[in-house]
Amino acid sequence: MTSTEKQDTAKGQGKLASAASSEVMIQLTKVNKWYGDFHVLKDIDLTVHKGERIVVCGPSGSGKSTLIRCINHLEEHQEGLIVVDGITLDKNLKNIDHIRTEVGMVFQSFNLFPHLTILENLTLGPIWTRKMPKTEAQAIAMKYLERVKIPEQADKFPGQLSGGQQQRVAIARSLCMSPKIMLFDEPTSALDPEMIKEVLDVMVELADTGMTMIVVTHEMGFAKTIADRVIFMDEGDIVEENEPNAFFNNPQHERTKLFLSQIL
Amino acid sequence: MAIISAQKTPARPAPLSDTTVIGWLRINLFSSWINVILTVVSLYIIFVAVKGIWVWGIQDAVWSAETRRECFKISKDGACWAGVLNWMDSIFYGRYPREELWRINIGGLLLVLWMAPLWLPRVKGKVFIGLTTVFLYPFLAGYFFSGGEKGIFMQIMISAAIVCLAANTLHSALGVFANSSLSEFLIRVTGTGKASEKTQRNMLIGLLALALVAVFLWQMSWHLESVTWTKWGGLFLTLVISGIGIASALPGGIILALGRRSKLPVIKVISTTFIELFRSVPLITVLFMATTMFPLFMPDGFVLNKLVQVIIAVCLFNACYMAEVVRAGLQAIPKGQAEGAHTIGLGYWGTMGLIIMPQALKVMIPNIVGSFIGILKDTTLVSIIGLFDILGMLRAISEDVFWRGLHHEPLLFGAGLFFIICFVMSKYSRHLEAKLSTDHKD
Ligand SMILES: Nc1ncnc2c1ncn2[C@@H]1O[C@H](COP(=O)(O)OP(=O)(O)OP(=O)(O)O)[C@@H](O)[C@H]1O
Ligand SMILES: [Mg+2]
Repeated sequence: MTSTEKQDTAKGQGKLASAASSEVMIQLTKVNKWYGDFHVLKDIDLTVHKGERIVVCGPSGSGKSTLIRCINHLEEHQEGLIVVDGITLDKNLKNIDHIRTEVGMVFQSFNLFPHLTILENLTLGPIWTRKMPKTEAQAIAMKYLERVKIPEQADKFPGQLSGGQQQRVAIARSLCMSPKIMLFDEPTSALDPEMIKEVLDVMVELADTGMTMIVVTHEMGFAKTIADRVIFMDEGDIVEENEPNAFFNNPQHERTKLFLSQIL
Repeated sequence: MAIISAQKTPARPAPLSDTTVIGWLRINLFSSWINVILTVVSLYIIFVAVKGIWVWGIQDAVWSAETRRECFKISKDGACWAGVLNWMDSIFYGRYPREELWRINIGGLLLVLWMAPLWLPRVKGKVFIGLTTVFLYPFLAGYFFSGGEKGIFMQIMISAAIVCLAANTLHSALGVFANSSLSEFLIRVTGTGKASEKTQRNMLIGLLALALVAVFLWQMSWHLESVTWTKWGGLFLTLVISGIGIASALPGGIILALGRRSKLPVIKVISTTFIELFRSVPLITVLFMATTMFPLFMPDGFVLNKLVQVIIAVCLFNACYMAEVVRAGLQAIPKGQAEGAHTIGLGYWGTMGLIIMPQALKVMIPNIVGSFIGILKDTTLVSIIGLFDILGMLRAISEDVFWRGLHHEPLLFGAGLFFIICFVMSKYSRHLEAKLSTDHKD
């Protein structure tokens, strides 16, 4: 099946077009991690293809954040193999720096730089790590600010923006690095309800462009719209993994059923 | 039941107390009989004290006399400011040869010229100007102050400093008056505006080298009279020691603080030991150790003069104190900032230099300036180990044959001088804090 055919079938099911191809972007093999004696990630196996959109959910403390933070090495795993975009994550600092330029990440707490203007927040990465001329970086930054619909805020400081606007800036900041993969760690859970939608809209648009995405979220409506696969984690295990319709309508595992009954 | 207010509530003036002087007085000073009595008594005490100081210090004071005896003859109960005035040069410059004083003044002026652009609007590259102040100006000033034959290294550094100062000044003038920069100006003048970036860069480097060679040849044609460090003294010496202490404390403190937070055990242990060692010993002990024990550790035949030893001790001591200030500032920055920086590909130095340090320094300004003021005041301890800094000079007046026993006036004068300098510093820090706050979080 070619990717176009696959897209057509996906559309036929009333879902967003999936651009997933057979090229592997992220490969986790038997990944284990401990905090002291506490076993956070247990023998995690996960393969993400180019263009695939994965939603990760699970109860608090199940290791979701830890899992995606291992992918760009904000946390170090102790056992197993993580390969991102063909590069193995190990102690080699060059590899880590390289992977971080290819993997964008959006946090629950935005983590914008409060001492820089929005525009400077966006151009910092391209200028310092991509060695891009300033004017070009600014042009790109403005393009992405327009895409997240806040170009008029370019000269303000992060503290002057609403939470939803800050999170959209954070998304734009990552996109300015033209990443191949985007990681989202509960991007909307620090936001007031009326701001959640504006951020999710931006993420749906991003999914539409064929970006490879891993999203930790409890927004199940969003998961149904964009996910190619939903992963359910509990106590450091991937308990269940399925395409969204099957996952939500026909969960297999007891723990999944319990979790879904609590949040839906 | 709904409550609907038909009229708009009109605005009323604020209560008397907060807006007028009389209201404030009534509330704070005369609210009850006890308060009235306390206020009156306090006013009387203040009046007596101020009057005493006025009569002694101004009304009955002697401003011009040749000896203390003469002072007494003119006015028995007045201050003898004549002694301070007669010694003014010594208080400011120590025993520096009188015909060479211009060198100190020029040295000070050069510093002002060098640093002034930092406060001017529309000047680009302020970080660079700041760095050259720390790394090049000391060579130029050092030679102005001590003079003598120049070694080849000194000659190169002096030339570099002069070229840099000229470039800085020109660059800043262009920035302020033409909203331009030196490189833009040179590119326009040489007509290389359309050439490639590489040609432009080569042209700029070439011009710089040319200027350097020219200045180097020029400075070979003159040299300054040598003035040994033992002649240095007064406020000048205090400012030299504390200036070097201040300029080196922050860079040194940053290095030590980063070392202490390093993931490499060796660096961490060394930095921590160093910091704790110096912080657990009083400065005066460090100074004594530096002047008596330092020479023991030096290789044979390698003699450092006392001033250099003192300066090294002051620098190390203050760097260690500053390290803890910096560490506290670094801890105030949330972990998410570093993570955010990592996700856009910044490595350790990029994260530190662009994200963490700028924010941490901003948080630290009050503490940093507090330390700077502390350094300035602590420097007077060097008078105990026999350097004639301002405090040493002020006390030397009372041992002068003509002014024997004149203690109060010089010390009061010194206190006033310190107060002015420190007060200006702390006011400026407040201003800086307000100016740099971009958080807008309230
Ligand atoms: N730095 C740390 N040191 C020790 N334990 C940690 C650390 N970070 C996380 N943990 C523990 O690891 C477990 C997994 O944490 P993680 O943040 O991955 O959970 P999560 O699934 O993202 O939960 P949440 O939905 O609350 O964000 C938790 O029990 C947490 O207490
Ligand atoms: Mg989490």
